[in-house]
Amino acid sequence: MITRLLVRFAYFISGSRRYGRIKGFFYDLLENDRYPYKRWFDFFMIFIILSSVFILVIEVKEPVPQWLDDFDLYFVTSIFISEYLLRMWVYSDVHKMVIRLYEEAQFLSQPLSLPRLFGVVLKDKWSYVTTPSAIIDLIAILPSYRQIRVLRILVLFRAFKMLRYARSLSSFLFILKSKKFELVTLLTLTAFFVFIAGIMLYVFEGDNDNPNIHTLFDAFYWALITISTVGYGDISPVTPEGRVVSMLIIMTGIGLISFLTSIIVSSFGERLSELREDRVMQEVGKKSEIIVVCGFGIMGRKVAAGLEQERSELIVIDADEAAAQRAHAMGYRSICADATRSEVFERIGVQERIREVLCLTSDDEQNAFIAINVKSLNTAIRVTARVSDREIADKLRYAGVDEVILPEELAAMMGAVYAGEPVAFEAVRSIVLRREDERIDEVAVGMRLVGKELWELRTAMHRLVLLGVVRNDEQGSVFHFNPDDDWPLEASDKLIVLGHSSAVDHFKRKAQ
Amino acid sequence: MMERKQAIVLFGYGKFGRAMYSRLKHDGFGIRVATMLEQNHTDAMDDGVTDVRRFNPKHNDSIRALGIDPGRHLLYCAMDHTANNLFLVLSLRELYHDATIVALSNSEENTRKLRFAGADTVINIYDASVEQMVNALTRPAVREALNTIIYDRNDLKIAEIVIEPASCFDGKRVGEIDFRSKGVVVIAIIDKELGEELIYLSKGVDHKLDAGDTLVVVGRLKELEALKKRCETA
Repeated sequence: MITRLLVRFAYFISGSRRYGRIKGFFYDLLENDRYPYKRWFDFFMIFIILSSVFILVIEVKEPVPQWLDDFDLYFVTSIFISEYLLRMWVYSDVHKMVIRLYEEAQFLSQPLSLPRLFGVVLKDKWSYVTTPSAIIDLIAILPSYRQIRVLRILVLFRAFKMLRYARSLSSFLFILKSKKFELVTLLTLTAFFVFIAGIMLYVFEGDNDNPNIHTLFDAFYWALITISTVGYGDISPVTPEGRVVSMLIIMTGIGLISFLTSIIVSSFGERLSELREDRVMQEVGKKSEIIVVCGFGIMGRKVAAGLEQERSELIVIDADEAAAQRAHAMGYRSICADATRSEVFERIGVQERIREVLCLTSDDEQNAFIAINVKSLNTAIRVTARVSDREIADKLRYAGVDEVILPEELAAMMGAVYAGEPVAFEAVRSIVLRREDERIDEVAVGMRLVGKELWELRTAMHRLVLLGVVRNDEQGSVFHFNPDDDWPLEASDKLIVLGHSSAVDHFKRKAQ
Repeated sequence: MMERKQAIVLFGYGKFGRAMYSRLKHDGFGIRVATMLEQNHTDAMDDGVTDVRRFNPKHNDSIRALGIDPGRHLLYCAMDHTANNLFLVLSLRELYHDATIVALSNSEENTRKLRFAGADTVINIYDASVEQMVNALTRPAVREALNTIIYDRNDLKIAEIVIEPASCFDGKRVGEIDFRSKGVVVIAIIDKELGEELIYLSKGVDHKLDAGDTLVVVGRLKELEALKKRCETA
C-alpha cells in the first residue's frame, strides 16, 4: 500500500513541470556558476558567515546584545540548515530512483521491496553527506548547540564554508590539489625530520639539562618551530649535542621551505592559462551573442580589430599558446584550445551563447574541421570559414557552412578592377576598406518611413549618394540597384548609401 | 587621359596567381603568365593557360626574355612569398622605369616595403576579406550590396568614364544631367580643374564637366556602354 502510494507520488513528481522548475531554480542558485543570481546568493552567504564570526569575536570580551545572539542562534542557523537540506535535495532525484527500481521490479515481475528502496536512497544521499564540503557545512551548523561550549570554536568552520562561495579561494585549493603527490612527499619528509630531531633533543636534554623541555611534546614542538625557520626561542638547546641537532635541522629546514615554495609557484605557473580561461568563461557566462574567432594569425587579428570597433563580444581561440597570449595582451578574451574539438565550444555555451564562429586559421583543412565541428554541435550558429582552395570551399558550402570566404579571390577581383579601371579601383578601395571619411553604410527604414516612396527621402539633399536598396524576400536578401523614384519602402528594406560619415550618421538618426 | 593597358604579365601561379588569372581571364584581358617554380608551371599548363613561361627572378636576362613592353603591359607580382615579390618588384623597377607594377602583400608592413621597392599599387590579400567578414556581422546589407556590385561576376559593375572633348556632357554641370534615369549612379569624379584627386559626389559640390574629367559610376554593363558612347562622341 505504502509502496503503491510512493510510486504514484514519484510518477506525479516526475511529470510535474512546476516541481522541475522549482528544483531547477534551487539547483541554479546553489550550484550553477553561470546563473546570474548565484553571485548575489554567494554574497549573502558570505555576509552571514562573517557576521557569525564577528559575533564570536565580540563575545570574547563583551556581552553580546540579546537580539544579536538571537540572530546568530535562530536566523543564521536556520539559513544554514535549510541550505544544507536544499543541497542534499538537489544533489540527486529520489523520484527517479523510485521509478527506476519500480520499473526494474515490474520487469522482473516482483514486488518493489521497501527496504531495498530505502537502502538505495540512503546510500545515494549518504554519498552527498560524506563529501568534504558537506562535512564542513554540517560542522558549521553544530555551534548552534549552545550546551557544549567548545563547539563555539567550530564557528570558524563557517569561515571554511566561504570557500564554497569565493571562487578564487577554491581555485587556489584546486591548484594545490594538482600537486598532491609532491606536497604529501614533502609533508612526510618534514614529519620524519621533526620526529628524529625531536627524539634526539629529548634524549640529549630531556633529563633535566634543559629546564624548558619536560615532555616529548615540548621536543617535537621545538623541532617544528626550528625546522620551519620560525624559531620563537622560547625553547632552545643548551647542550652542545642539542645545538648540533639544531644546526642540522635548520639546514634541512631551509631546503624544505624552498622546496615548498617552488612547488606552489610552479603549480601556479602551470595553471596560469587555465585560471585565465576560467576567468574568461566566467565573464562570458553573462554574455550572449558571442562571436568566436578561431585562429589569431594575420587575418584573425585584423578581423578582431574590425569587430572591436563595432563593439561586438569576442572570444579568440588559438591552439598556439603564444598566439593566445598575444591576443590576451592585446585586450581580447582569449583561450588557448584546440577549436577542432567540441569541448571548448561546449564550455563557452554552444547552445545559447554563441552567435557566430569565424574559422580563420591559415590552414584550409583546419578551418574546414572547425566549421564542421561547430555546425555539428548547433546548426543555428552562423559559421564563416576562410579557405584558399575552391574545391574545399564548395565542399564546405555543401556541408552547410553559411559563408566561405576566399581571400585570394577577393583580392584578385580588386586586382582585376585595377587592370581595367584604375580610377574606379581607387574609389572601390577607399570605399571597401573605409580608408577615408567617405563610407558606404546601410540605413534601416524606420517605422515613420514605411509606405513612403523613395524620392521622398531626398537623399541628395542629405549629401548622400543612394546606390540601392537591399530587400529581404523569399530568396533571402537581394540588392536592388538604383531603384525607381516611386519604389515603396517596406520595414525590412535597408538603404545603401554612400557619403561622409557625419552625413550618414545624421541621415540614420532621421530615418529612425 | 589614362591609357588603356590591355595586356598583363602575371608573375607567379600559386594560390593567389591562380585566382588572379581566372578573374582577369574572365574580364577579357590578354595574360602572359611567368612562373618561377616547375610545379606552378605544370599547374598553369594543366589549367589551360596558353601563354606561360618560366623565369628566374634573380637574373635580369631571364626577366628581359619575357618580352615585357612597359608601355603596353601591366605587371602583376603575385608570387606566394612576399620575399620573392619584393625582389621581383625591385628588379622590374630597375629594368622598366615607366612600367605600372601591381604587387601583392599579406600585411601592412610588407605593403610599406613593396611600395618602397617601387610598386605603384599594393593589394593586401586579406583587407577585402576582413572587411567583408566584419560587414557580414555588423552591416549585412552593405555586404550584400558590395557583393553584387564588386565581387560577384554579374553585369553590375563599377567603372570609370572619361569625358571626351565636344561630347554631349562637355561643359554641363553634374546636377543638370539625370544619370539615374540612364541607369547609372555617379559616385565620384576627378575634376581636372581641381587637380588629380578623386572627389566623392556626396560632398555636395556641383562640378562642371569638362573634357578630360573622369567619372566613377556604378551601373549595368549595357547602360555603362551606352553612357560611354555618349561621352565619347559629340
